[in-house]
Formats: sequence, C-alpha cells, structure tokens
Amino acid sequence: MFLQALLIAIWAGIAGIDLFNGLTHIHRPVVTGLVVGLILGDVTTGIIAGATLELVWMGMVPLAGAQPPNVVIGGVIGTSIAILANQDPNVAIGIAVPFAVAAQAMVTLLFTIMSPVMHKADEYAEKTNLKGIEKINYLAILGLFLFYAVIAFLPVYLGAESAQTIVEALPTWLIEGLGVAGGMMPAIGFAMLLKIMLKKEQVGFLILGFILVTYLKLPILAVALIGVSIAMYDYFNQKNKPNKEEKKEEYADGI
Amino acid sequence: MESNLYEDRSKEKVITKRDLDKMAWRSLLLQASFNYERMQACGWLYSLLPGLKKIHKNKNDLSKSMKMHMEFFNTHPFLVTFIMGIVIAMEEAKESIDTIRNIKIATMGPLGGIGDALFWLTLLPIAAGVGASISLEGSIAGPFVFLLIFNIVHFALRFGLMRYGYNTGVSAITKLKENTKLISRAAGILGLLVVGGLIASYINFNLTAVIHAGKATVDVQKDLLDKIMPNILPLGYTLIMYKLLKKGRSPILLIGITVLIGILGHLIGIV
Repeated sequence: MFLQALLIAIWAGIAGIDLFNGLTHIHRPVVTGLVVGLILGDVTTGIIAGATLELVWMGMVPLAGAQPPNVVIGGVIGTSIAILANQDPNVAIGIAVPFAVAAQAMVTLLFTIMSPVMHKADEYAEKTNLKGIEKINYLAILGLFLFYAVIAFLPVYLGAESAQTIVEALPTWLIEGLGVAGGMMPAIGFAMLLKIMLKKEQVGFLILGFILVTYLKLPILAVALIGVSIAMYDYFNQKNKPNKEEKKEEYADGI
Repeated sequence: MESNLYEDRSKEKVITKRDLDKMAWRSLLLQASFNYERMQACGWLYSLLPGLKKIHKNKNDLSKSMKMHMEFFNTHPFLVTFIMGIVIAMEEAKESIDTIRNIKIATMGPLGGIGDALFWLTLLPIAAGVGASISLEGSIAGPFVFLLIFNIVHFALRFGLMRYGYNTGVSAITKLKENTKLISRAAGILGLLVVGGLIASYINFNLTAVIHAGKATVDVQKDLLDKIMPNILPLGYTLIMYKLLKKGRSPILLIGITVLIGILGHLIGIV
C-alpha cells in the first residue's frame, strides 16, 4: 500500500504542476482516473470514476479569480476511493469534495506565502541576475509538486477517516484569515504600479476606469477599448497642434 | 526619478523565430511562482528572459527592463504569448519603458476575458465532454481523445500567437515611428484607465461585520459601505498602500500589515 500511495502522490504532484503550469490538462479527472486505475490495478473502475468526476468538475472553472474546489485533489482522491473502498463514483465524489475544498484553501495559503518572495525577485531583476529569476521559478515548481504530493498521500495511505481528522485539526481561523489577506494583496501590486505610473494630470483616467467597472459593471475589454478611444483622440489632437515642442522636456530625458 | 528611456537605442533586429519558440516554451511556466501580490509577474519575466538577454547588451538597460517586467502582471495563461510577442517587438525597437508597461497593462486584462470564454467555456467542455463520454463506456481511449483535442488547439494557439503578436508589434511600431512622446502620453491614459478598472475587479475586500442595534441589524458592507460607493474598500486600501509607498515604506512591511489585518480582522469577525 505504501508504494501505491507513493505513486499516487507522485502523480498528484505532476498533476498539481500541470494545473497552473504546462496546462496540457493531464490533471483533469478523466486522465487521472486512468493513471490511478493503472496504479491500483483496476483500470475500468478508474476510467469510469474519472469520467464521472470530470462531469462534476466541468462546470467548476477558475473564472477571473473565483476558486472552485481543487480539481487535482478531487480527482486523485475521488478515483482512489472509488477503487479502494469499492464505492460507487457518486459516493466517492462526496468523500473527495471536502478534501478538494480544504486543498484549495491551502493553495490560497501558498499564493499568500509566495508574495514576499517577489521582493527577492525584484533584487535579482535589479542586478540582472537571470539565474536567480530562473531559480525562483524552478523552486516554486518543486514546491507545488511537494505540496500536492503530500496532500494526496495522506488520505490514500491513512484512509479517508484519519485524513479527515487531520484536515479538521487545521487552524481554520489562520487559513481563512490568510485567504482574506490574499484577496487584499493585489492592492499592494497596484500601489507599486501607481507609484510609477501616476501623473497628476492623468489621475482622472484612473478614477474613470474605476467608475466604469464599479458602477457600469463593464468588462475589462470594454474599459480597454474606451481607453484606446481616448488615447487615439489625445494622440491625434496633440499631433495636429502647431508644434510647440518644449525645449525643457528635451533635456529632461537625461540624454 | 529614473529616465524611462533605454540608454542604448540602437534598433538591431536580433530576435529570430527560434527565440520566439524558446519563449513560447518557457511561457508554460507562467504561473510557477503565482502569488497574490504580483500574480504572474515573475513567471512572465522568466518567459521573456531569452529575448531580453539578446536585446539588451547594456547592463543598465537589462536591469531597467527586468525591473519593469517584475511589476504586477496577470492575463490568461493560454493567450499570454500574444502579449509576449508584442512586448518583445517593442523591446527590440527600444520603445520607452513607460510605453511598453502601458501596452502590457492594456492588453493583459481583455485577453483574460477572451481566454476564459475561449478555453474554460468552450474548448474544455467540448474536449472533456467527448473524452468523458467515451470513458463512461469503459473504453481506455477517452483520456487520449480528450488530451489530443485539447492540446492541438492549445499548442497551435500558444506558438501561433507568439509569432502573430511579434509581427503585429513590429508592423505597428513602424507605422507609429513618429512622435514617441505623444504615443507614450496616450499609452499612459490607456494604462491608467485599465488599472482603475483592475482595482475595481481584482481586489477582494469586504466587511462581514453585522451590527445588532435592538431589533435592527445593520450589515456594514451592504447597508453602509456599498451605499456610499461599491468597491470603496479596494479603492481606499490601494490608495493607503500607495501613500505608504510614497512615504518610502517597504512593500514587505505592507505585506505584513495586510496579513495582520486579514488574520486579526477575521478572528474578531470583521472581514
């Protein structure tokens, strides 16, 4: 059993990477069912369970920031339980979904923890340390692999009940609190952008973009096209002005 | 204030088809270091490195370029190569850093929406639906059919869009050769407008507190804040962070503050 659990954990790690990187979609339950079936020696049950889970997760897609229950963990644990406990796939779904939800909360945690690392990356960028930037990304991939492998290993090896106890023992206030912090964190990224971009005479456009989404609920594509219209108008307006190039600006370019 | 122009402005053609393919392969790791503060920025920079290294022989220029590409970035992971192509063409033409940043910001949001519709709502359901229906009959072919349909479209777009984006960028730049200053100003308008929209759509910050006053209950978010202005907290929090950065506070400190607010606020039941 240990070896089988280990193999399933390795698959979960690979699938976990594919969920965000590569995106060949070998992480979908329809594929995971076949692989887990091969590992546990019951391919037919695996394939059918995987396909059943696939149909469940098909409607749960990561649209603009909304996080569905984790499809990798849901697929791996769902198909494993369907085979190991000889359960009907639909029952396996019921057992797998709580794990998938817990796993997604942990992913939130991971994305929050990775934020401070970006400042190390800033240093590397400043010093043109290409190897450093590459290292951060490769290590992050390794981290993703281990993260998914461990989460998948426990329920398969210990059995769902024991694993459930571990999940329940996690400090939810901490994980949920970090999730809240994660939701606020893009504000720091935008603030850093604004520090560079914001010019007094253009503040109005920032407000306008905010209003278009907040009150008119326009999609970003519409906002961008409005931006293009204004930008084009501004460009031709400026271009057709009699040329009064300020000499002062010529020097300000630091040439 | 650093100059936003590259020191070495020789417009050499150095990017080959092979370089474009190399970057398209790397773009598979766009979300390796995904995080909430910069989202895909570090993976985005990683993907561009082969091109940037070739374009910027001058160390200061390379440093400027890399720093700019470490700024907040988020788009659709399947369509990202289109933006990469445009950006590499602009880097090669030594456009001003501000203009490159603004074009990058203006394209990343809309592609997100287009990609969602194209992949999550169209390609995935079709491919997975076909694959799963074959599997449900107990046939081993299901997963393979699914992977084949999905990835033919996926990789054709990923590599095709890289070249298409690059060629689009090159031809647009030759058309707009004249007045870079005006272009940069117009692009600034576009960039700020989109950032305003992103603030309203990307930041999740709502209060959950409910005040009980006798028989009346007041949901602070719905009954109070949203009545003043929806998204008032995301906007306010961004502006506070902006002020703190302007004062020279370090971004790491801001992360710490944010984590504290999240955890403590959640403990006492405000957020």
